[in-house]
Amino acid sequence: MKNILQITLVYILFQLMASPLTVLAETPDARQLVGLAWDYMRGETSVSVVHMTVHRATWERKSTIKAWTRGRDTSIFQIIAPKKDKGNGTLKLERDMWTFNPKINRVIKIPPSMMSQSWMGSDFSNNDLSKADSILNDYTHEIVAKEANEGMNVYTVKSMPKPDAPVIWGMQTLKIREDGILLFQSFHDEDLEPVKEMTTTQITNMGGKPFPIRWTMRSIDAESPEDYTLLEYETLEFDVPLKKNLFTLNALKKPLR
Amino acid sequence: MEIIMAWRNVWRNPRRTILTVMAIAFACLILVFMLSFQVGVYEVMINAAVKTQTGHIQVTAVNYHKDQKIRKVVEHPEKIKTLVESVPHVTAHTFRASSFALLSSETRTVGGMVTGIDPEKEPKVSSAAAVIRKGRFLNAEDKEAAVIGTLLAKNLKINIGDELVILGSGRDGSIAAGILEVVGIFSSGMDDYDRSGIQIPLTYFQETFAMGDAVHQVVAICDSLWAVTETQQHISKALKEIEGERELVCRSWNQIMPGLVQSIQMDLGGGIIFYGILIVVVAFSILNTFLMAVFERTREFGTLLAMGARPGRLSKMLLYESGFLTLCGLVLGICAGAALTLWAQHSGISMGEAEGMLRQYGIPGIIRPKLSLLTAIAGPVVVFIITMLTAVYPAVKVHRLNPVDAMHAA
Repeated sequence: MKNILQITLVYILFQLMASPLTVLAETPDARQLVGLAWDYMRGETSVSVVHMTVHRATWERKSTIKAWTRGRDTSIFQIIAPKKDKGNGTLKLERDMWTFNPKINRVIKIPPSMMSQSWMGSDFSNNDLSKADSILNDYTHEIVAKEANEGMNVYTVKSMPKPDAPVIWGMQTLKIREDGILLFQSFHDEDLEPVKEMTTTQITNMGGKPFPIRWTMRSIDAESPEDYTLLEYETLEFDVPLKKNLFTLNALKKPLR
Repeated sequence: MEIIMAWRNVWRNPRRTILTVMAIAFACLILVFMLSFQVGVYEVMINAAVKTQTGHIQVTAVNYHKDQKIRKVVEHPEKIKTLVESVPHVTAHTFRASSFALLSSETRTVGGMVTGIDPEKEPKVSSAAAVIRKGRFLNAEDKEAAVIGTLLAKNLKINIGDELVILGSGRDGSIAAGILEVVGIFSSGMDDYDRSGIQIPLTYFQETFAMGDAVHQVVAICDSLWAVTETQQHISKALKEIEGERELVCRSWNQIMPGLVQSIQMDLGGGIIFYGILIVVVAFSILNTFLMAVFERTREFGTLLAMGARPGRLSKMLLYESGFLTLCGLVLGICAGAALTLWAQHSGISMGEAEGMLRQYGIPGIIRPKLSLLTAIAGPVVVFIITMLTAVYPAVKVHRLNPVDAMHAA
């Protein structure tokens, strides 16, 4: 009896330690903090419906995307509106990425060199959309500032690529709230000049926890200050059981549910 | 009086005179020929570059060249077409539209630049049809057909008759996708273009990339390189008058390819240094002749002065002498240079071994110097100015002669 109690206690302790949702202690480890933020964003699994607005001074386009993610490096998303693009989908498994177009009925593998290309004319790249875990594997992190915001600590993290990492950014800056919400991310070139910036706003209760539902990406060298791409979450659920064969090329070719 | 004396003095020592005249003539000949040759080479270089890519003149949206966004379009190309056709000197024109896209074969996917072209008009403007190595160029009946660069074909591991998928974003942000059949493979000689270039029929491009009737470039060719600037100004002015097309610009090849202009300037700079050295050598040889003339004729000048000739007349006579010498050399040099250049222009200068390679890329393997008034006159005029300047020194020196001392000089 005593034994069982002990085992249970150890188990609970272990769970607490391993849980990514643990609110961090005083000065967290930078890498742990970034890991926490990415896990917070994706959960064990996630299902979401997102409206994307690509806005330019004289032009705007809206589309709706449904996305599923599992773990840190597996995701699949499919366009559900407008009608013209319906059925186009993208699958990402670790470092590989495929895209499917129903009009030509072909799956195309996206070469790694294209992962940082703009996605559908937006300010987001293929990598950004799949919430790439590249930042966890290819960068070293350092907390450079700490500020208080609405009673919570917000840490500024400077992330530099590892010497041989296959990345295109020279630096990234992140602002992460202590509970793991990513508030800001900026991408810098090799000269450390900012190239684009993402801010997240409207932290709302969604998917069972506070979550920012508006993600805005702006390019620094945009032609006008009005240029941006906005992602708005319509629905979001975390830790839903997903079918095992969801993240496959065959699934990509069919309308997903 | 001075003229007759000068003429006789020139021929007092015929051998020396002929040698000096020959030196000047030879310098002029080289200047005329080399300048004409350089101009000829530049024309070939420019025409080759213009033919493979840009055309002489392009009408595009403002800033399209800086950032080739698919939305920066020429909305009503027909209006521009009418305008371009009405401008003198324009011999051919065509429309093009292009966009970055993923190109995918059975086994590979790479990024590339898809260009929509008019299969009938394009060959008149560019060498696109001439650089096809395998298969054929696009024709008017083609719809879902493509010609691609050799390196691209190699990278994608595809050949004539194979299927190629393109995937990109349309003008409205929608996804543009299509399946094409490869009908031809080209080798333009520019690795960048051969690695990423693919051409498809313009109508198919417009359909797939949701372009409507819009295009990205209106490309025109002029009857001669020298008419380009004038034509460009003409079109620029007319563009402003077309209602609703204020967002368009007209640019010429030298604005589109500043790199080419710079390499020509660099080459010309090197040439000018060479010509400078040549002219300095000639100038010294003339200076030598005149100094000799003054030294050995000091007694003679003394006598002339004693007989009442004013120093001014002596200077004048010396200047006439150098003028005669130089002019003889110049006339001879220009005639010989022009003759040589005209002959070379007529028969062409073969580039030997390099010819096959050049021809492959649409550049003729024979280079023809281009004689013009400018190339025939520019060099000799500089030679004339420099030699006359060197003649000033002995002419001034004569001024300072004292008749008695001069007659006593050895």
